[in-house]
Amino acid sequence: MQPLLTLTSVSKSFGDLQALDSVDLNINAGEVVGLVGSNGAGKTTLLRLMAGVYTPTSGTVLLADGNPVSKMRQSLGVVPESTGLYSRLTAWENIRYHSRMHGISDKDAWARTAKFAQHLDMVDSLGRHTKGFSRGMRQKTALLRALAHGPSILLLDEPTAGLDITSARTVRKLVHQLKNEGGTVIYSTHQLAEAEQVCDRIVIVHNGEVRADGSPEDLLKSTNSTSLEEAYVALTKDTARQRQEDDQKEGRFTGMWRSFFTPKPPSTPALEVEEDE
Amino acid sequence: MSELATYRIKAIAKKELVEFVRDWRTIMAIIVIPLLMFPLLFILFPVLLESEAAELDALELTVIVQTDLMEPSLEQAINNVSIRVVYEALPNLTVLSEPGEDLERVRNLSVDAVLRFEQENSTWNYAILHLSTSERSNEAWNRLLDALGTWESEEVERRIVDSGLDVNTTLDPLRWDGDVSQSDVATSGEQAGMLLSLFIPLVLAIWTYSSALQPSIDMTAGERERGTLEALLCLPCTRMELLLGKWVAVATITGVGVVLQICGLLFAIGYLASSSVIGLPELSIMTVALIVAAILLFAIMVVAIELALAMRSHSVKEAGSILAPMLLLIVFPALFTQVINLDGIESFWFAIPVVNILLALRELLMNRIITEHIIIWAGTSIVYAGLAAYYASRQFNREDIVTSLS
Repeated sequence: MQPLLTLTSVSKSFGDLQALDSVDLNINAGEVVGLVGSNGAGKTTLLRLMAGVYTPTSGTVLLADGNPVSKMRQSLGVVPESTGLYSRLTAWENIRYHSRMHGISDKDAWARTAKFAQHLDMVDSLGRHTKGFSRGMRQKTALLRALAHGPSILLLDEPTAGLDITSARTVRKLVHQLKNEGGTVIYSTHQLAEAEQVCDRIVIVHNGEVRADGSPEDLLKSTNSTSLEEAYVALTKDTARQRQEDDQKEGRFTGMWRSFFTPKPPSTPALEVEEDE
Repeated sequence: MSELATYRIKAIAKKELVEFVRDWRTIMAIIVIPLLMFPLLFILFPVLLESEAAELDALELTVIVQTDLMEPSLEQAINNVSIRVVYEALPNLTVLSEPGEDLERVRNLSVDAVLRFEQENSTWNYAILHLSTSERSNEAWNRLLDALGTWESEEVERRIVDSGLDVNTTLDPLRWDGDVSQSDVATSGEQAGMLLSLFIPLVLAIWTYSSALQPSIDMTAGERERGTLEALLCLPCTRMELLLGKWVAVATITGVGVVLQICGLLFAIGYLASSSVIGLPELSIMTVALIVAAILLFAIMVVAIELALAMRSHSVKEAGSILAPMLLLIVFPALFTQVINLDGIESFWFAIPVVNILLALRELLMNRIITEHIIIWAGTSIVYAGLAAYYASRQFNREDIVTSLS
């Protein structure tokens, strides 16, 4: 089967930080692919490359027809980690705004929104300003917004982060439903249990590299582990980096200026280790 | 540009305007305040000044007059300016303005002023001791000067008459014949244009920049800070469409703000002055079209620069700290332009950014259409606006704008 999206030797660097290093990945139609990794592993960078927001430093991100990914945005639905809702607009106005950017009529957008809003228990909230929304409602609105134009690929960046149990469950149920309808979902998370529950395939990203790519069973087999957590630990033994890509964007003078006015932390006295006799 | 691209630009601009309208604080800052600023300043300020002046007039002031020989006519003049006078003998001083022993009582305001007055042959010497930091003392000083001025005029006239001369011909040997305003060959429309050209370009330049400031920051650095930009960048719209949509929104807000401020200014002037002082300038359709073109080019440049610099910033605070001081780059040329003499002006002035549009507006408001100047300011402004738009598009195409502090 021809993959819907193919990443070949994709690297991405920001200044001297190698955010992604030679990543090869295929996304097949109808799959739910989980990107699992610690904070700063490169999951969001990978998603942004797939969304065409970032251009790879080297390598290619191509569609099945050989076109660059930026040509695919019409059939892409994205829920960024920050949700990105306008607080002075109502939930429906937020959804309609993005649908208009996709060239979808308000009528069609409303029909799809109304359908999914029922699943997410959001019908009564569509006319409300999003300013007072809880994290869960914001996430659900962002999901409705991403689905309103009928995308063939859905990119979800940590969609259940900060959600209560019920809201997180609703989101996962929706992903299941989309999969059953033949949709393709790329699901970034750092919760292994969630990835196991939702995804057909798990891609473990660590320090900008893809350490493993396969079904949960494949991962267990390849690492001789009894649990996914054990497998994850085995695959990511080296220390996770802490740097964010945005750190690289600070000007040299700005950095120098800030450090000039930043006192050094007090030195920690060396811990005396008592040796066992 | 495709139909879909135009549709998206409109949708972006519309959304930005809807968000803008829903924030009453921004409406107050950009629409209501400019509309009311000049009427309040020009109408309420004189009312306040009048009431303050009336308060001063009502003050009962006490003045010491130190003299050895008081002129009855001067005494009458001082009585006419409503001052309570206490007479004392003139102390022994080298010069009359030396405070001497009167220093303390003037400083502690036990008297409001001290007038010293002495005759020396056919002239009179005088000095007034007063405390310039006290309004009471200043008022006493002013009333004494009025009284002395009146008395001096009467004294001059008396001496002219005593010398056998005619007062009128001696004091006023050169006279204007007829009405001064009649001799000005400039039409009332041209005069109005001249008057308007002194402040309209200034107001226009400063307000265009300052009213575009807040929306520019909110629509770029604000979006970035709130994390709404990432979702937007994942949409099929191009970055250029995004820039154009936001530019249309900021330009609309700025345009409305500037027009309202000028309306408020004209209303205030019309209210204060009689209609003969300021009227409508005589402008041809060509001139009006050129004024609109000049404002449009200026707005393209200013809004594009503000959007670009705000988009470079990671936060609203950072954008504000960059853009707010840049207002000086508009204020200084704007003030400078007001004093440039337009008669025989060198052409190179019309090529300098900001200065060129301000000078163009001054010339056009005075209905002066000079082809050479128009070609220079229009050409250079198109280049500057183009460069600013190019710079803005480069900033909007930066990859790092997707990252946000949130």
